[in-house]
Amino acid sequence: MSSLDSITPDEPARQDQAIAVPSGAGGDSLSTEVSFRRARSVAGRETLRDVALRVASVIALVFIWWLLSLFFPPSLVPKPWDTFAEVGVIVTSGNFFTEMGATLRRVLVGFGLAMIVSIPLGIFMGTLRSLESFFEPPVILGLTVPGLIWAVLAIMFFGLTETSAYAAVAVTIAPMLAISIWQGTKSIDKDLIDMSKVFHASVWSKVVDVILPQLISHILAAIRYGLGLAWKVVVVVEMFGFSNGVGYQVVRGFNVFSMKAVLAWTITFLVVMIVIEFGLIGWLERSVTRWRPRVEAWRR
Amino acid sequence: MAYVSVNHAVKYFSREDGSEMLVLDGVSFDAKEHGITCLLGPSGCGKSTLLNAIAGLEKLDQGGIEFRVSSSNPTPDTRHPTPYTQTPRLGYVFQDPRLLNWKRVEDNLIFAFKGMKIPRESWRGLLEKYLSLVGLLSFRKQYPLYLSGGMRQRVGLARGLAIEPEILLMDEPFSKLDQLTARQLRQETVEICARLGQTTMLVTHDVEEAAYMGDRIVIFSSRPAHIVEVVDNPLEAAKRDLDDFAFIQFKKRLLQTVLKLVEQEERV
Repeated sequence: MSSLDSITPDEPARQDQAIAVPSGAGGDSLSTEVSFRRARSVAGRETLRDVALRVASVIALVFIWWLLSLFFPPSLVPKPWDTFAEVGVIVTSGNFFTEMGATLRRVLVGFGLAMIVSIPLGIFMGTLRSLESFFEPPVILGLTVPGLIWAVLAIMFFGLTETSAYAAVAVTIAPMLAISIWQGTKSIDKDLIDMSKVFHASVWSKVVDVILPQLISHILAAIRYGLGLAWKVVVVVEMFGFSNGVGYQVVRGFNVFSMKAVLAWTITFLVVMIVIEFGLIGWLERSVTRWRPRVEAWRR
Repeated sequence: MAYVSVNHAVKYFSREDGSEMLVLDGVSFDAKEHGITCLLGPSGCGKSTLLNAIAGLEKLDQGGIEFRVSSSNPTPDTRHPTPYTQTPRLGYVFQDPRLLNWKRVEDNLIFAFKGMKIPRESWRGLLEKYLSLVGLLSFRKQYPLYLSGGMRQRVGLARGLAIEPEILLMDEPFSKLDQLTARQLRQETVEICARLGQTTMLVTHDVEEAAYMGDRIVIFSSRPAHIVEVVDNPLEAAKRDLDDFAFIQFKKRLLQTVLKLVEQEERV
């Protein structure tokens, strides 16, 4: 197995196929197997190249940062490694976990609330004409209101409580989630709904087995956009006068004019974001789209 | 076993501009019990609409579909069909198989089992029976998009059969397959249906397919559809051979009827 994994499209594989084809049905399956293995080893090489490209892009960014730091005083553009050292201090002092934990909790609770409301709302809007007409104006209006305004409104209404953070996040992203699922629902396959009717599928089964799986790419895209938006709003809310959270720490850095602290907190934030994006959502995406062969439109 | 008769079915479709178009113009016929009834007619004539009406997906504007039970061993003079109190158990095999691509082959069948309220204990037996009948037992854990078109069509066939329907509806199930696969699947389907003995209705626009599969062939005119002729196949299912003289004769006879229809159409 391990020796076959490393087969590259050269002599050994070709020979296998050449021998396999004339020998009939059994040989046929053998040659498919070989090309399958080859495809897999190509895929392995591609992921390696993808990782290398990603790492290179991060290194390039740090390099540009370093170039900039040569022309500006450290109070404006601190050296990258000084900032990384600051990140180290934040993490080792334990500050990171309490502050990031508070921010993450606000993002996730707000996000969860928005999902609970938006997924059913989007599905109903996509399937029932009357609900679509009724909810279209508030959803579109909601989308145009800036997150900052929601943050202000939430704090005025709920005061400086956790509730206002949850509410601001939820209200900001809910319209975006709802629109994405609403539009996705409109594109679902009517023929499959008919099929499910013929086999007398229950309402639950229609939703879980037929509708939701067709929405999965829309939902994943909505989760990505939604999380991005949620972070932006939660930081704004925290800046308004919360006493913890990443937004608060950034404001503190701003008040003492410490560019290093502001950047260091931003970096920790980005790292967490990347872990969630590539780790958690990437894993979620792979596990719910296993049924779909990968589109390889540009490979010859 | 179930008995289907279509009585004076009339169906209008409303167009975009609000006008109405007559699709089915008083269609009446009886399906052959335990056998395969082919609905043969030009594309777009309303055969599929009728099939959907039988499946309950469309409502007829006039007339109706009657389901009746008859004694299990029917003879022409002692048969006293009694009306069904509800729709009999229907299976449907679609043109493009309409599988749930995110479910494995066996879960596609289980989806139908759940809908038809088939008790969980029988799932395993039914899965094994019908997936091996269509030759896909070893692919039960595969996702449909990793199978070939012919194999996917077989999954659709297995799903229609596995709920053990009293009436099996098939809407041009082989029209999108290549000749060889279609021919093989036709033969297998005829054998399977003969073995299981459900009442089958198959929509097709392919004269050879109708002659080969149909125990009874109902010929539809083009839209608005009415019935031109109902022909019972003189050849028994097991004796139909594509190269046999009697078969070719029968096919020719059907073809002539259909061609005459097309000519009339052109004159009008």
